Amino acid sequence: MNGSPFGVVLSYLPDFLNGVLLTFELGFVSVSLGLLLGLVLALARRSQYRLLRWPTYAYIEFFRTTPPLVQIVWLYYGLPLLFGFDLGGFGAAAVALGLNVAAFFAEIFRAGIAGVDRTQWQAARVLGLNLIDTLRFVILPQALRNVLPPIGTTAIYLIKDTALASAIGTPELLRVGQLVANETFRPVEALTVVAVAYFVLTYPIAFGFAALERRLSAMRA
Amino acid sequence: MTEPLIVVDGVVKRYTAETVLDRVSLTVATGQVMVVIGPSGSGKSTLLRCLARLEPIQRGRILIGGAVAAAGTEDIGVEANGTAPQAKSHDVGMVFQSFNLFPHLTVIDNITLAPRRVLGMPREEAETLAVDLLRRVGLEDKRDVHPTRLSGGQQQRAAIARALAMRPRVMLFDEVTSALDPELVGEVLKTMRSLAEQGMTMLVVTHEMAFARDVADEVVFMDKGTIVERSSPARIFDQPSEARTRAFLERLLEREGGARRTR
Repeated sequence: MNGSPFGVVLSYLPDFLNGVLLTFELGFVSVSLGLLLGLVLALARRSQYRLLRWPTYAYIEFFRTTPPLVQIVWLYYGLPLLFGFDLGGFGAAAVALGLNVAAFFAEIFRAGIAGVDRTQWQAARVLGLNLIDTLRFVILPQALRNVLPPIGTTAIYLIKDTALASAIGTPELLRVGQLVANETFRPVEALTVVAVAYFVLTYPIAFGFAALERRLSAMRA
Repeated sequence: MTEPLIVVDGVVKRYTAETVLDRVSLTVATGQVMVVIGPSGSGKSTLLRCLARLEPIQRGRILIGGAVAAAGTEDIGVEANGTAPQAKSHDVGMVFQSFNLFPHLTVIDNITLAPRRVLGMPREEAETLAVDLLRRVGLEDKRDVHPTRLSGGQQQRAAIARALAMRPRVMLFDEVTSALDPELVGEVLKTMRSLAEQGMTMLVVTHEMAFARDVADEVVFMDKGTIVERSSPARIFDQPSEARTRAFLERLLEREGGARRTR
């Protein structure tokens, strides 16, 4: 099998596995950061205080409308230049992608919260629940089931966008694929292996979200 | 005479240009059942929502048990409000036309949520309380069911139990049978009736005139944001002193075609 085109490429399996691991870590850190920050941004966006609403709006639109590749480059090259603060390749990519996806998650959460009937807020209010408890026990659990499909889709997009970290030399999956392609002169085979690896990484997310959605809607009935 | 439990004093409520409540004053004694009737848009539901602090008021004050529940945002120099004791938000229990149960929680979790989070009640104690309340509203077998599995009447009774779990000093009912199929109205009214018999102070906005006649200690007729007439049910239904009250009741009887008049 070593003579076949894929055999040559597959002899780099350990390198591919390292790439998969790094892509997974990058995706995990940035999605987690994005979910957390996205929720905070969504709530700030709904705040009654302009001082919270306006900067949040600016943040969301800025990160939604500029390319994530540029955001990664800014953090990787810009931060050390401007502030002498070096996040490293992995750090810069994870933070940039996290900040980026947070803007998208924020809009999804905002729509999900707005989709909960406002009589639910009123019911919680007359029972004396404070804002935090109202969100935690009444509004967010209902918003969550509304937002699961778009959150899942966005998370999958983000996992694939981690490939942008290859531009600053982070040895994630795509970067490994490029290196292998260069060494073996087999770009199609190398990148096909990369594609399969991305599928293996992202399909469980798609599957998991669909299962979660089914479970939540079964609970409601 | 003892201090009334609820004092509504010169309350003005406006939505932009429209005045919904125009200097409304009203007192309700402890244990009293007061039914508020009137045409739609008369401000009766808004009055309840102001009492529940779902709406700010522009002028006047609302006191519950002597404590300030709401004060006009446009009133100036009401220095008393700054130091006066503030009513707790859960002194008032409210039941809505559309039930507003939390659909993702079981019936018992709907009931125990606020006692646990707001009053800090331990779970077992809250559940004992909830089971007791469910028995009172006839839903003891529905404790672990989600609200969507219940009929409208059952949902509304669960909502009543949820409000009672906070041990409110007054219960507000905002057209609680209006969204129900006719055959389910009776079970909710029965629950409210037994609550009244147990001495709960109640403010009830309803179109159920038979209920008003039987259960109310007093009936208030509202029109165009003001209280037109306040009197005993017998008097207001049989010999209303205001022409507007009479016209409203006649229209109501006409619409019902006499069929439900004596229910």
